[in-house]
Amino acid sequence: MTTHSETGSVFQSRKFGDFAPIKESLISRRLNASFILAPLAMKLVEDGVPIRIVYLGHRDGTTLMVGKDSPIREFTDLRGKTVAIPNRFSNQSLLMHRMMKRWGMGPDSIKLIEVPPPEHPTALSAGSVDGYIVGEPFAALSEIKGFGRPLYYTKDMWPNFISCVLVVRKEMIDEERALVQELVDGIAKSGKWLDQGLEHRMDAAQIVGKHVNFQDPKLLEFVLSKPPDRVKYSNLAPLQADFEEIMDLAIEVGILKRRLAFEEYVDTSFVAPVERLDWGFDQLPRPTAAEVGK
Amino acid sequence: MKLKVLLGALVWTLLVSLAHLQLNIGWGELADSVREWFGRKRAVLEIGYLPVT
Repeated sequence: MTTHSETGSVFQSRKFGDFAPIKESLISRRLNASFILAPLAMKLVEDGVPIRIVYLGHRDGTTLMVGKDSPIREFTDLRGKTVAIPNRFSNQSLLMHRMMKRWGMGPDSIKLIEVPPPEHPTALSAGSVDGYIVGEPFAALSEIKGFGRPLYYTKDMWPNFISCVLVVRKEMIDEERALVQELVDGIAKSGKWLDQGLEHRMDAAQIVGKHVNFQDPKLLEFVLSKPPDRVKYSNLAPLQADFEEIMDLAIEVGILKRRLAFEEYVDTSFVAPVERLDWGFDQLPRPTAAEVGK
Repeated sequence: MKLKVLLGALVWTLLVSLAHLQLNIGWGELADSVREWFGRKRAVLEIGYLPVT
């Protein structure tokens, strides 16, 4: 893959297996930017960590899964069951509480346990949980492997659901504004390109699966196409109304102690009109043989 | 004749040097070093992520 952008800046992605080490790396300044769960970002700000949400990673893209042959057919069937969530400070956890409230169920009527996202499918197949709610592709993985069934997509439970957001440390925002702007513009352009058509999504599945995430491209093709609105990459500007709803739920559930002002945890100054942004190519650039061998 | 030998030696040295630079350092690395030499280091930003949507 190219190691630097058109303007010469270098953006390096660093893969993690759970959100806890990302949080620690952000606190200790070993990381200056990361995609993390929206409520976790709010919690870090409440705890005094100088970060700001500058953009969203995607919308929707989370699925509530149950066993393929499970008798669970609707949300109320989960009463008394155990469901895995990615983190206590996740929007998936808040969504479960939102749904319990909507269906008139008590806050403890479903046992929610924290499991790192990559381990969700294994927990279901081993029978440790009755269901799990997580971001893709770990939901689709159990569907493809034949032991999981989607109970609800977030688009059906909480349309335009926000899971991961891009946070940047305040020092970077103040000292490297152009670099952060370049990153946000790049994400906006990539989202626009992905939502231009299914062929772009299939191309991304190949490149990301083989060279970035090292996941089966077929799994990513499935996630990005069945159905195509399972995960969306448009409308990624952080909107106050969306975050106010998350804030209300977080306070109600007790993961946040006080109401934060929107400006305390979000910086919207990097959001540019997406019409002006475009990558200007149809297929993703392929890595050279030398880059593949690295 | 002497001039031809001299020119040939110079061209050969140049080609071998360029091949050495490309194979052992790489143009990208070299460009970065030159940029750094002139005080224009590449801006680097590392971004953490989970392979999840």
